[in-house]
Amino acid sequence: MATAPLAPVILIVEDDPALRTLLMRLLREEGFQPLSAGHGAEMARVLETNTVDLILLDVMLPGSNGFDLCRSIRRESDVPIVMLSARDDETDRLIGLELGADDYIGKPFSKKELIARIRAILRRTQNGQQASQPRGHQQMTFAGWSLDPGRRELLSPDGAFVDLSGAEFDLLLAFVSSPQRVIGRERLLEMSRARFSDASDRSIDVLVSRLRRKLAVTGQAESLLRTVRGVGYIFTVGVERR
Amino acid sequence: MKLLRLWPQRLVGQVTLVLMLAVALEFIGSSLLFEHSRLYPDRESQTRRVAEQLITAEALLEEASPDERAARAAVMSNRVTQLSWSILPSLVDGGRDVEDEFREEFLEAEPGLRGRDLRLRANIDHALPRDTHLKAALKLRDGSWMALNTRIHVAPWAVLLSGFGSAFILGLGVIAAAALVLSNLSRPLRALAEAADKVGKGAHVRIAETGARDLKLVAKAFNAMQDRISGLLRARTEALAAVGHDLRTPLARLRLRAGFVKDAEAREALEADVDEMAAMLDSLLAYLGGQEDPEPRRRTDLAAIAMTVVGDAADAERPATYAGLDHLPVQARPVSLKRAISNVVENALHYGGDASLTLAREGRTAVLAVEDNGPGIPETELAEVLQPFHRLDSARARNTAGLGLGLTIVQQILQREGGALVLKNRPQGGLRVELRLPAL
Repeated sequence: MATAPLAPVILIVEDDPALRTLLMRLLREEGFQPLSAGHGAEMARVLETNTVDLILLDVMLPGSNGFDLCRSIRRESDVPIVMLSARDDETDRLIGLELGADDYIGKPFSKKELIARIRAILRRTQNGQQASQPRGHQQMTFAGWSLDPGRRELLSPDGAFVDLSGAEFDLLLAFVSSPQRVIGRERLLEMSRARFSDASDRSIDVLVSRLRRKLAVTGQAESLLRTVRGVGYIFTVGVERR
Repeated sequence: MKLLRLWPQRLVGQVTLVLMLAVALEFIGSSLLFEHSRLYPDRESQTRRVAEQLITAEALLEEASPDERAARAAVMSNRVTQLSWSILPSLVDGGRDVEDEFREEFLEAEPGLRGRDLRLRANIDHALPRDTHLKAALKLRDGSWMALNTRIHVAPWAVLLSGFGSAFILGLGVIAAAALVLSNLSRPLRALAEAADKVGKGAHVRIAETGARDLKLVAKAFNAMQDRISGLLRARTEALAAVGHDLRTPLARLRLRAGFVKDAEAREALEADVDEMAAMLDSLLAYLGGQEDPEPRRRTDLAAIAMTVVGDAADAERPATYAGLDHLPVQARPVSLKRAISNVVENALHYGGDASLTLAREGRTAVLAVEDNGPGIPETELAEVLQPFHRLDSARARNTAGLGLGLTIVQQILQREGGALVLKNRPQGGLRVELRLPAL
C-alpha cells in the first residue's frame, strides 16, 4: 500500500447490538470505515447504496442465516466475505468456505486476530486480483495427489485426507500455483505471511520440511519439493487443473 | 380360538389356572390310583374266598356222578379260578412255609377242611406285582381228586406302597409341568429385569410387549419411562449446549473489549481468562455434542494429523516431537481425531512437560503413542481419569484450566471410530497414552 487509498469500507452483519457496536468502534480505531446491519434485509439495503470492500458476516442471524446470505452475495459479487461463527466447528467452516467465504473466524476472537485476517484478505484482493482466483471449486492434481482450494483439502494418492496446518496449506497452494518454477524464500515468506501475519517467525524451511514429510511417498522422497541452494524451492511436478 | 378366550389375560388368572389344573390333575391321578388299589381285597379275604370255593365246589362235585364231575368242574371255573376233576392227584404238596401258612388260613376259614387230604403249592411271581399262583388239590370222599388253580393278589400294603410311589411321581410331574408353565409366564419379567439392568449404561433397550396383560402394561410403562428419561436427558444436554453456544457471544464481546484495555498486563490477563473460558466451553460442547457428530467418516492420514498437532505445539515453542510412519490411513472423522490427539498432547505437555509422539502399525491396529516424562498417574486412578469431570487432586491443586473432560472426550472419540484409549505408566517414569485405531 504505497499510496494511502480511501479507508476500506467494511460491512458488519451481526445481530448482537453490543457486539456490533464493539466491532464498529474497533474497526474505526484501526482506520477502517465500518457500516453495520442487524440482519439480511438490512444488509441488502446497505449493499444497494454503498460500495463495500469486505463483509464480516455472522452465521447465526435471525431470518436467513449467514450461509444463505453468503450464497446470495456470491451470486452477484466477489466482495470478500469473512464468516463469524459462535460454533467453532469444522463442518461450519467447510460449508462457509465452500459457499465462497474467504475466511472463517470462530467466536470468541481477539481484536488482533480479526484485524490481521481482515488486512490479509484485503491485501490479497487489492494487490493481486489473481491471488483470489483459485477460490472456488477448481481442483488441482499433481503426482496422484489432489488439492481442493475451496474446501482447503489435500487428498493423498490413495484417497486419504491429509491434514495440513493453515500455513502449510498456503505454502503448498503457492507451490502448486507456480509449478516447475523456482520460488524465492522471500516470496514464499511473503505469501504465507499474507494470510497469517500474526504468525511468529516461522521459518519457511521448517514449513517446507513439514510439508515434505506429509507429501512423502516411498521411493519418491524429496522429488516434489526440491531445494534450490541459495534461492528457494521448486515444485518439481506438473499440476493439472480440473 | 375358544381355548384362547378361556386363557385368562392377567398374571393372577394365569397362575391361578395353572395351579387349579395342577391340583385337578393330582386329584384325578391319585383317585385313579387308589381306586385301583381298592379293587384288590386283602390277602386274608382272598384266601377265605378260595377256601369257600373249595368247599362249595367239593359239595357240588360230590353230589354229581363221576361221569358228570369233569364237566361240572369246568362249568364252575372262571377267569381267576380254574377247577378240574381227576381220579389221580395232579399235585404234590409243596411242603414249604408258604404252603403251610395258606393251609392254616384255609383251615381257619373253613373248619370243614380239617382232616382232609389237602395238597397246596404256591408259586410267587418274580415280576411285579409279585402275585401268588396258588394250586390246591382236595381228595374227595370217593378217593378221586378235585384241583383248583387260582391267583392270590399281592398284599395290600405293597399295593399301597406302590400307590404312594405313583402318587409321588405324579406329584413331581404335575409340579414340573406347573413350574414350566409358570416360568414361561415369568419370562417377560426376566426380560424386564435384564433390560432394567442395562438402562443407564448408555443402552436404549426396548423390551417386547408380550405375555399376560398386566405384564404387557409393565413393559409398555417401562419403554415409555425409558423414552421419557432419554428425552429428558436429551433436553438437558440440548439446553446445556445451547447455553454453551450463547455464552460465546458475550465472550466474544469480552474478548474484543479486552482489546481496548490500555494497561498491557491487564489486557493480557483478561485475554488469557477469556481464552480459558473459551477452551472450557469448547471441551464442554465437544463432550455434549460427541454423540451426534455430523462429521462424516473418511479415509484419513493419521500421521499427518499427528504431525500437524506436533507442528502447532513446536511453533508455540513447546517440546513436542513426532517419530514413526509418514503415512497411516485410518477410517475416521478427521476433525474429532485431531481434537483427540490435541487433547492428549496438551495433557502430556501440561502435566508431563513434554510430548513424544510415535506412530506405528501393530498388525491391523494403528497405535499412536504419546509419552511424557512427567509424574504419571497413580495406578489406582488410571481408570478414574477417564470419568467425565474428573481431575487428579494434584492437578486441581495446581489450579489448571479445563473441566476435566479432556480424556473423556478422547475416549469417546476413539470408541466412536472403533478404537480404544490405553493409559500406562512408563517403567522409567512418565505416562504413555496409546490411541489405538483400526488401520486400513
